[in-house]
Amino acid sequence: MTPPLGTRHGIFLLLRRLRPPLVVLIAVYAVAVLGFTLVPGTDPSGQPWKMSFLHAFYFVSFLGTTIGLGEIPFPFSDPQRLWATASIYATVIAWLYAIGALFSALGDPMFRRIVHESRMERAVRRIKEPFYLLCGYGDAGAHVARELAGDGTRVVVMDASSERIDALDTDDLPVTVPALCGDATEPRSLVLAGLTSPHCVGVIALTGDDFVNTKITLTARLLNPNVPVLCAAHDHATHARMAAVGASQIINPSDNFAARVALAVRTPSQHVIYESLTTRRGTAMGEPIALPRGLWLLCGSGLFVRTLRRELKKLDIDTVLIDNELDFVVANTNLVKGDPTDPEVLERAGIDKATAVVAGTDVDVDNLAIVLTTRSLSKSIFIVARQTQRRNSSVFRAAPADLVTLSGYVIAAEVLRFIRAPQLATFLRQARDQDEEWSAALLAKMRDVIGDAIVESWSVHLCAEEAPAICNALKEGKPLSIESLLARTGTDGKLLRAIPLLLQNGSKRELLPALDTALTEDDRVLFCGKASARMRMRYGISSG
Amino acid sequence: MSTERVFFAFIIVLALTLNVGFVAGDIVEIRHHNVYELFAALVVSLIATVMKFGDRSALGSSMLATSLVADLQLVAAATAWGLYSQGGNLLTAHESATVVSLAIGATVANVVSVVLLIVETASLRR
Repeated sequence: MTPPLGTRHGIFLLLRRLRPPLVVLIAVYAVAVLGFTLVPGTDPSGQPWKMSFLHAFYFVSFLGTTIGLGEIPFPFSDPQRLWATASIYATVIAWLYAIGALFSALGDPMFRRIVHESRMERAVRRIKEPFYLLCGYGDAGAHVARELAGDGTRVVVMDASSERIDALDTDDLPVTVPALCGDATEPRSLVLAGLTSPHCVGVIALTGDDFVNTKITLTARLLNPNVPVLCAAHDHATHARMAAVGASQIINPSDNFAARVALAVRTPSQHVIYESLTTRRGTAMGEPIALPRGLWLLCGSGLFVRTLRRELKKLDIDTVLIDNELDFVVANTNLVKGDPTDPEVLERAGIDKATAVVAGTDVDVDNLAIVLTTRSLSKSIFIVARQTQRRNSSVFRAAPADLVTLSGYVIAAEVLRFIRAPQLATFLRQARDQDEEWSAALLAKMRDVIGDAIVESWSVHLCAEEAPAICNALKEGKPLSIESLLARTGTDGKLLRAIPLLLQNGSKRELLPALDTALTEDDRVLFCGKASARMRMRYGISSG
Repeated sequence: MSTERVFFAFIIVLALTLNVGFVAGDIVEIRHHNVYELFAALVVSLIATVMKFGDRSALGSSMLATSLVADLQLVAAATAWGLYSQGGNLLTAHESATVVSLAIGATVANVVSVVLLIVETASLRR
C-alpha cells in the first residue's frame, strides 16, 4: 500500500518552520542556566556559594515562564540578581518568538491546506462501502448530496470554493460527508477525493462549468475506467466532447425542461406519471396541468429559451422570441427586440393573442419582473418562470407564476434518477414515444392499484444474489411469470399493489409487460407501487 | 558550500566531540569528568536534534532517531548526576560509573549520527 501523500507532510513542514525558534529557545536557556552556575553568591552563613546545575535549571525554568517562586535556595547576591534580570528578558522574548512562530506556522495557508487534504484523504480511505464522488456543491450538488445522504448512501464532495465546503458543515447531513476543498481540474485532487478507490461507484460532475466537467470526465475515464460518470452540461456544443471522453450520461437542464414541457403539452397524463415517479413524495392523484397550445411568448435568448422553442416548434406551437440583445431584423414576426419587462414590448409581441409566457432570461430579477408585468396585463395567461439561484426560492414561490423551474433542481432530479433507478430513466425515455391514450390508461391503472399512496419505483434483478428464491425455482425448471413475483407473499391469492413497468434483459426491453410474461434468469423488472409492496416483494424473492 | 550546511555539520560533530571529551577518563573517578562538559554536550545535542527536524528522507529520519537516542542518554546522565550530588557530596565510584556509562551510550549514538552525516555528504557528491 502506498503511503498517504500528505499525511506526514504537514508535520514535517511544521517542524521545519519551528527549527529557528527552537534553537534560539534552547540556546537562551543554556546560556541562562550556565550563567547561574558561574555567578558567585553567598549562603546564609556568609560562605561563597555557587548554584548547582539542578538548582540553576529549576530556577530558570520557572523564571522563563514568569511563574517566579522567589530566590532559592538562598537569597541572591547582587551579581546573581543582575544575571536573573537579564535572563528574564531573554527567556521571555525567546518564548514569545517561539509561540509566535508556532501560531504563524499553524495559520499558514499552505500548512492548513496540507492538513485539510490529509484529513480528507484519511476520511475517504476509511469509507469501506460504495460511495459517489460528487464534484461541485452548488444548488444541484447540494441537493444531490442531501438526497443521497438521506438514502444512507456515502458521498464524497469536492468543490473549489471553500465557502461552499463550509456551507456543507452547516447543512447537517445525516451521514458524514467528507468535503474536499480542491480544484477538480487537477487529477491529484480527484485522486485524493477517492477517484481511484475500489469503493468509488460513480462520479458526478456538477461544477456548473462545462469545461471543468469535461476535464473531470476525462480524468475519471483514464484513471478509473470502470466507474460511470454523470456529467452536467449547459452548452450543446460540449455534449459531443463529453461523450467522446466517456461520460456515461450527459444531463442538460435546458433539454430536460424543454422535454418535460413538450411532454406535458403532448400527453398531460404522462406528465403526472412522470412527476409521481420522479419526485420523492409524488402520488398518482395529481391533476394533469393543461398547457396551452396557442401562441407562446419566450422572453430571453439564452440556451434555455432556444431549446424550449425548438421543442415547441416540433409540436407545431407558434412562438415569439423577445429579447433586448437580438441582432436580427425586427421585421421578422417571430422575433421582437426590446426589454421583455416593459409592458409595451409585451403588447407589441402580441400578449393579447398569447396563451403562455416564458420568463427565461439568465437573471432572476428580470424573470420575476416579467412574471409580474405579464400578470398585470393578463389574469389568465399561463406563466412559466425560470429560476437560476436557489436562494431566491421564496420569492419565486410567492410570484404569480404557474410553473417555476430551477435548473439546479432539474439536474439534481435527473442525477438522482440515474442513481436510484437506472431502469426508470429507460422507462421514461421509452414512454415518451407513447400517446395520450396509452398514458391515460397507465395513469388510471396506477390510481386504481396504488390509490393515493406515495408512488415508489424499484427494480428487481433476478440474479443469485438478489433473488435466490426465484433463481432456484427457475433452475429447477419451474415456469414463473411476473405474476408469481407479485403473488408470492400476498395473502389468499391477492396480488401485491405494484405494477410492472419494464422488463429488461440485455438489449431486450418490454414496456408494461403483461402479468403472464415468462421470467428468465438475469431479467430486470421495474415496478412502481406502494412502499409496503416493495418491501414484501424484496422479502419474497430473497427468502421465498 | 552554504552557511546552513556548515552550521549543521559543525553542530553534529561538536555534539560528538564534547561527548567523547566528557567520557574520557576513569569511569569510576568523577573528578576526571567535568560537569560543564556534560552540560555543553547535552545542549549541543538538543540543538542538533532540532536541526534535524523536518527532513523527510530516509537518512534524515535515521539521523533524527540517533539524535533522540543521544538526548535521552545525556538527559538520563545529567539527571542521575543531579540526584546523586545532593548536598554537594562527591559521587561514589558506583554513581560515577552510572553517569559516565550513560554518557558513553550517547557517544555511540553520536558516532552513528556522524557516520550518517558522512554517508549523506558522500552521496551528495556523487
